[in-house]
Amino acid sequence: MGSSDLDRQIRMLRNCEIISELEVKELCYKAREILIEESNVQQVDAPVTICGDIHGQFYDLKELFRVGGECPDTNYLFMGDFVDRGFYSVETFLLLLALKVRYPDRITLIRGNHESRQITQVYGFYDECLRKYGSANVWRYCCEIFDYLSLAAIIGDKIFCVHGGLSPVIQTVDQIRTIDRKQEVPHTGAMCDLLWSDPDDISEWGLSPRGAGYLFGESAVKSFLAVNDLDLIARAHQLVMEGYKLMFDEKIVTVWSAPNYCYRCGNVAAILEFDENLEKTFKIFHATPQEARGVPSKKPVPDYFL
Amino acid sequence: METTSVHDTVVQGTAQDAADSRQSACLQGYFEDPFASQFVRRPTRRSPVVNRGTYCRFIGLHSILRKFLATCRDQGQASQIVSLGAGSDTTFFLLYHLGLAPTRFFEVDFPEVTSRKCLKIHQKKALRNCLDQDTVQVGKNGTELYSPSYTLLAGDLRCFPTELGPQLLAQGLDPSVPTLFLSECVLIYMDSPHADAIIRWAATHMLSTFFLTYEQIQPEDAFGQMMISNLRQRGLELRGITAYPDLASQAQRYRDLGWEHSQALSIKEIYHALPKNEIDRINRLEMLDELEEFDLLGDHYCITWAFKTADTNLRQSWQHIRPTNLSS
Repeated sequence: MGSSDLDRQIRMLRNCEIISELEVKELCYKAREILIEESNVQQVDAPVTICGDIHGQFYDLKELFRVGGECPDTNYLFMGDFVDRGFYSVETFLLLLALKVRYPDRITLIRGNHESRQITQVYGFYDECLRKYGSANVWRYCCEIFDYLSLAAIIGDKIFCVHGGLSPVIQTVDQIRTIDRKQEVPHTGAMCDLLWSDPDDISEWGLSPRGAGYLFGESAVKSFLAVNDLDLIARAHQLVMEGYKLMFDEKIVTVWSAPNYCYRCGNVAAILEFDENLEKTFKIFHATPQEARGVPSKKPVPDYFL
Repeated sequence: METTSVHDTVVQGTAQDAADSRQSACLQGYFEDPFASQFVRRPTRRSPVVNRGTYCRFIGLHSILRKFLATCRDQGQASQIVSLGAGSDTTFFLLYHLGLAPTRFFEVDFPEVTSRKCLKIHQKKALRNCLDQDTVQVGKNGTELYSPSYTLLAGDLRCFPTELGPQLLAQGLDPSVPTLFLSECVLIYMDSPHADAIIRWAATHMLSTFFLTYEQIQPEDAFGQMMISNLRQRGLELRGITAYPDLASQAQRYRDLGWEHSQALSIKEIYHALPKNEIDRINRLEMLDELEEFDLLGDHYCITWAFKTADTNLRQSWQHIRPTNLSS
């Protein structure tokens, strides 16, 4: 696949047009060659803009790039949950993956709990692939790539980025480096916890109401930061109506990048820019208006109880 | 009677939406309703967050309704239920199946809706078998059905005090028998003076009476605004939501309209009050990743119950009625 082919595919995907099944297969092959070389905990240089859940809201991802700058002009770190729930998971994930292949040093993708075979069969990505390609092949190619995504990233040696949060069985970043990540997200254990856990107002650890991962409190956060000589944990995973939320003396931040989540929640979204000195700037953005979404393949009519 | 508007037609369509949601939650194992499938053409699979909300609505309403029936039974009294805007609700059939049916069960809705239900009951053996078939009569061009246990009446709820109320009395609604009025997402589609008139009518005409309502609240926050705008896109107006926008005003409404006791709980509160073993059970049914979204949805729906009675025994038992425990 030449770079002109890739540029053409990026142009199509930016217009919310799907590329062929064969092109997806080749794109995933190229992506795998890049991702396989990446560490479980990717080192990322500042300045960088970090983003939370996207969930297939393609037109809102376009707005995100308008607000944050296009890739590769802006260096991006996406903290997982690219797929499911929204109507354009295919276009969203393939665009991010194509950008990764084209500009591997300008965009980092880490894994979210929805980048999983099991979850995507419940929450929409599997059905969307079947609907748009007539077979599950594209879903299968994408799931293979999910297994190669990094589990976390560290910006400028100081900011730890992960989709969900901490794990009671992980004390050091080096322990994360020893996980064999090339597998489906397990139901328990360190890898599962990193993708599923949530911060909560408890002292150390608690059971998660999600049925996977843990709740972790302020002292768990502060001890993890101290042991690993870090300043901040940045994570996604939880809807925040204001787009972002700082907790525990600003030692942890949740960033949420899917505005009007599921076309129903009415929330705003945020991205977080770190400059070369790791100074933070939040940028808030709103859902793209209906008229800018073109003709939707499926009219978004969210369910209520009527 | 007011003429049928486009909005009325859309409101009538919500009956199918509710039936589809109920069938989806049943298929996932949230609760059992052998009649849910009777009103659904082909099963729709709703998202886990919607299934869980449908379940909380069912548990909240049915736990109160069954406790109401149990208190009447315990005191050796007859009982009646009037289901307002009943749509394709299965409550009568389910109660009959469980051996819990009240002495009389009345349903009222638009004639467009009741005629479909009459036809369904005629077509489906499972439904027909819940009625004493020798006594069933159909009237008003197939829009009404009369039997000693179950009566389906057609009309416009906006004309309740002058038309449907007197019709109910004429069909045997007994003002001296303890009576529960049930309204699920019904009053909210009307301008509140029309809805208030029904609530006041029940308090004035019935000696011992209970009101049970399920509807949307919180129109002002970001989720509420989006809910209103999304429903408007479907042609649905929540006309009553601004008059009674929260739990406090929902409860106050009944006291202002002649009821002696009232309480309101959000669907989120009802979920979190479920027994732990029940929460564990539904957590195993399907993976629910969208906890924040569920809490948001659950904050925007509430169950309100109110009663009024001169019977001290009934008052004693009704005071302690709370949702969420189906066992009693």
